[in-house]
Formats: sequence, structure tokens, C-alpha cells
Amino acid sequence: MTTISNNEIARAIYLVSKDKSPTEQSLLYPKIIQFLARRHLLSKTSDILLKLGKIINSEEGRTIVVVKSAFRLGEKTKIELVQTLKKRYSSKEIVLDEKLDKNLLGGMRLEINDEVIDLSLKNKIGKLQEYLTRPI
Amino acid sequence: MSNNHIVEILKKEIDNFKSQIKVEKVGQVMEVFDGIAKVSGLSDIKSSEMVTFSNGETGVALNLEEDTVGVIILGDFSKIKEGDEVKATGKILEVPVSDSILGRVVNAIGIPIDGKGAIKTNKTYPIEKVAPGVITRLSVSEPVATGIKVIDAIIPVGRGQRELIIGDRQTGKTAIVIDTILNQKGQNMICVYVSIGQKDSKLRKLQARLEEGKSMGYTVIVSAGASEAAAMSYIAPYAGVSIAEYFMDQGKDVLIIYDDLSKHAVAYREISLLLRRPPGREAYPGDVFYLHSRLLERACRRNKEYGGGSITALPIVETQAGDVTAYIPTNVISITDGQIFLETDLFYKGIRPAVNVGLSVSRVGSNAQIKAMKKVAGTLKLDLAQYRELEAFAQFGSDLDDATKRQLERGKRAVEVLKQLQYAPVKIEHQVVTLYALTKGFMDDVPVEKIKEFEAGLIEYSEHNAKVFYKEIKETKMWTEKGEAELKKAIADFKNSFLTRT
Repeated sequence: MTTISNNEIARAIYLVSKDKSPTEQSLLYPKIIQFLARRHLLSKTSDILLKLGKIINSEEGRTIVVVKSAFRLGEKTKIELVQTLKKRYSSKEIVLDEKLDKNLLGGMRLEINDEVIDLSLKNKIGKLQEYLTRPI
Repeated sequence: MSNNHIVEILKKEIDNFKSQIKVEKVGQVMEVFDGIAKVSGLSDIKSSEMVTFSNGETGVALNLEEDTVGVIILGDFSKIKEGDEVKATGKILEVPVSDSILGRVVNAIGIPIDGKGAIKTNKTYPIEKVAPGVITRLSVSEPVATGIKVIDAIIPVGRGQRELIIGDRQTGKTAIVIDTILNQKGQNMICVYVSIGQKDSKLRKLQARLEEGKSMGYTVIVSAGASEAAAMSYIAPYAGVSIAEYFMDQGKDVLIIYDDLSKHAVAYREISLLLRRPPGREAYPGDVFYLHSRLLERACRRNKEYGGGSITALPIVETQAGDVTAYIPTNVISITDGQIFLETDLFYKGIRPAVNVGLSVSRVGSNAQIKAMKKVAGTLKLDLAQYRELEAFAQFGSDLDDATKRQLERGKRAVEVLKQLQYAPVKIEHQVVTLYALTKGFMDDVPVEKIKEFEAGLIEYSEHNAKVFYKEIKETKMWTEKGEAELKKAIADFKNSFLTRT
């Protein structure tokens, strides 16, 4: 028997509910739950929901960016950041998820899905240490 | 050094430092067990790409699944925790190579483990490479002188050949390859010895022996010990052949020894089962044939237009109770260009090296044999074959006719001549002289138990009294009538004095 991955289930759920009106959708949801129960997939719902969220975001051109910084970012910086990221990931919308992390010392660290752009002071100092202690 | 001076140096170094910020692909460790890590994220990773863990250990991505990546950890996996960050490097696993690696002992990822300091290098070679194609190759025509009489005469190995050494435990498989390495001195050959899953004590002994024989100068040892992770054993032969390719790319001839491929297959089986790949025959994964064929296919002889050079491979496979029909032995036998069979029975009969001449073959090596050796070996092969056939009748003793008796006597002497002590490789010209004396019947009236003594004496005597013959063999690889007459006379003279003396 071929197993269906969580990703495929999430995509199927997205496709069936995509162009439906709110009333149609409310009729659809119990059916989806029934399907998951029948297939013994209720234990995997949290993962399926996570995947569904990612699918919806990518289909709608939305990119979630986790921004970690040592200090709160200024409004101007944020606008510039959003502009740059929009261009880089050619997405319609950038959602910044800001987090404060004193360990970074300065600068910021951007996480976009599994990509990391580390502009923090901590990373730079680490690199400098690597450079100074390299074997000659 | 004053403090100011240190500050100055630091300032200069810091001025030179340019930090490059780049986008990195990262993932998180989901689970770690038995040298394997399941990692989430790392979306664009390639197969056998190197990854680094946050504690500095490296790994190789082997299984690329929908959401996760199966990574084998090269090194200590006990320090890797769940949730650790894993960075993709964008590089396929590679080993550092340089000329100064000669004489060193390195591990499977090219890090020296002999305590002689770092190896200075700025060049690396990927460990997985597609073998040279048909156009770049040249057929085997130059010999590898192993210094072992039975091999050089009957199962000759050519440069670029792959010759399997197969036998039970304790039959002298490693002894053959050590002798071969020892004999490569001055033969314009670089040796790479890959030790896979061997005891460290055995490796130490081997290294000491090679140092004693002044052979480490042209040898590299790549070791993945029994105490290291299976992943190291799995990549060690590929790392070894990459080092060999570095020297071949300089147009040099390289001899690589894999000791042994059965342990390599076992290590790969362990990794495959842990990665949940489906098991097949003897629980080996389906691609265990490809595992060895892609490795041994990298042994080759390249033609001049493509840089020349060659890699000769001597893989070793250990059998259980002489069973050559097991999975790995049959696979490797079919990949290689011949095999040298070693047998326990022969070993305990005192026939060492315990080569079973009947079952051993070399499919391409005879093209590489020098002419003089071909001439004497042809008769020797016949003598031995007839001896084996008649051996069963030997117990009837006096009831046999004269011709049969003669055959048996000749056979006994041939077996005696082919016996050889360990660490005592014989030069090719000496081999030719001994085998000439044997096959032309000069040894027929020397008592069997005196053959070894006769052989040693003959070599010493002939070196002084058959100089023309030696010169011809060295220069033209064949004797002329003049040389032959001189040798014949020398042998006859020596025999007379030998027989009267004893």
C-alpha cells in the first residue's frame, strides 16, 4: 500500500477548500475531519495543519520572516527590510515575526523557512575568531 | 615578543579579515541514533553533500526524503543533541590532498592521526567521482612487480589491473600486500593502503614494518579503525582512491589496497539498515554491488593524451570457511580482473604464500608479464598442473612408471621453489633465474629439502657468473642465446659444487 504523506493531505485539503464560499467551507470541514478519523490520521493533524499553513502562504505569495535582533528594530529599518526581502523572494507580502535575542549582541538574524541570513555581531565575531585561529 | 608587537600583528590580521555574509541553508536535528541523524529543513541539499553540526562535527547527507534528510555522522555522535542546528556546506564530501601526505597515516576524511602534525594543503578532491571513460583508457601492458614468485610467475598483475585477494582469516592476505608494498621501492610506484575496520594494533604493526623497510616514503595509509563509526569505514576506500587519483593526475602509477572490502560491505549494511533502506540477500542493501563496482572501476590505466598514470587495485575479501559463493565474494570476483585464492589447508601444510594455483587467475596480467618471465612461467604452469593431476597417485610410490615419477618429482620441487618467507620479496631477474633452473630440469637431482638452500646459493653465484644474462633481462626483458649459454654454464657449475659440498 502506498502511504500518503502529510504534505499531500494538506495540499488536498487546500485544493478542495480553495474556491469555496464560507457556507460551503463550513459544510466541508466536518467531512475533512471524518476523512482524517477514518484514515486514523487525527494524531497527525498538528503536522498537517503546519504544512497547510505553509501551502497557503506560498500559494498566496506570503513569506514569513523570523527576525531576531538584540534591540528592537526602528520603523524605517523594517520598511527597508520588507522592501529588500520582497525583491529577493519575489513575494507579494512579507510578514515579519520579530523576536528579541540579547545573545546576538548587535545586528540581526533573518530566518526564512530553512534559509538563514546571519547579520548579527555574534556571527561576525565567531567568524573573526575562526579566521584568527586558523591553522597556518 | 613585546605586547605591542602582538597587538600590531593582531591589528594587521584583523585588517585583512573580510567577513562574508552569505545565505545559509540550515536544518534542525530531529533525532540522533547510532551514528545517524534525521534532520528537518535543508531543502535544497544534494546527495552526499557535506553538512556541519553546531558542535563542529561533519556529516554526509545520504537519504533525501520529503521532509527529512538522513545524515551519517563522521565522528562522535554522542555530542549531537536534538534541536541542534545543521548547516549545509554546498560541497560534496572531499578529502585534502597534497604531496606531503606521503608517509602519513590519515583517517577517512584526510585528517592525520599519526601525531606528526597537520598536513599543509590547499587542494581537495571529491571522494565520489565518476570513473575515467573508455576513451581515456589504455590496456594493461606494464607489470606490477610484487616480488612474490608465485604471483609474478603464474598470476601476474599489470598496472591498472584489479586483482582480488581472497581467502579465510589467517591465510596471509595482508602479508601478500605488505610484501608487495615493500617490493615497490624504486619501482616508481606510490602505494595507498586503506585499512577498513581493522584492529589498530594490526595497523600499528604494519606501519612499523613499512617504516622498517623504508617503504613509508612512497606510501599513504588511510585508516578507519574498528572503534570508529561505520560511516568512516564506508567512506575510507573512496577517500583512499581520491588520494590515489591525485597522484595519478600527476601521471604517476599508484597501487591501492583495500583491506578489506567484506568489512566495508558490513559497514555499509549497518548504515543502510539504520537508514531504513530495504535489506536484500544476507541483509545487504540492493546497491551493494554498485558500492564496490563504482569503487573498483576507478582503478584504470590512462593513455598519454589524458595525462597517463594508473591505479592498480588490490582489494581483499575475507571468506568464511572457504565459501566463495557468498554474496560479497561473488560480487567482487565478478568485478575484478582475476583473483588470488589463499587456502587454510595449504597454509598449514607449510606452503606459504598459501596460493591455490589452480583456482587463481589473472585475466589481463599475462599481457603485462616480461617476455623472459612468460617463457619460464609457461613451462612452470604445465609442470604444476600435471603435478596436481598426478598427486593422488603419489602414495603408490614404487608402482609408478618413470615418466610419472619424474613429473611428481618436478612438481614437488616447483612447489618448494614457489614457497617464500614473509617480508622477503624477490627481484624479478632472480625469479627468472630460479624458475629457469627449475623448468629446465637443473633442480631435478637436488633433494627436495635442499631446494631452498640451492636457490639462495644459485642466486648469489649466478649474480657473479652470469652477468650478461642479468644485463639482458634488465635492459631488454629477454635473454639471448649468449646470455642463456652463460647462465646454463653458471647453473651447471654451481650445481656440481653444491652437490659435492652437501
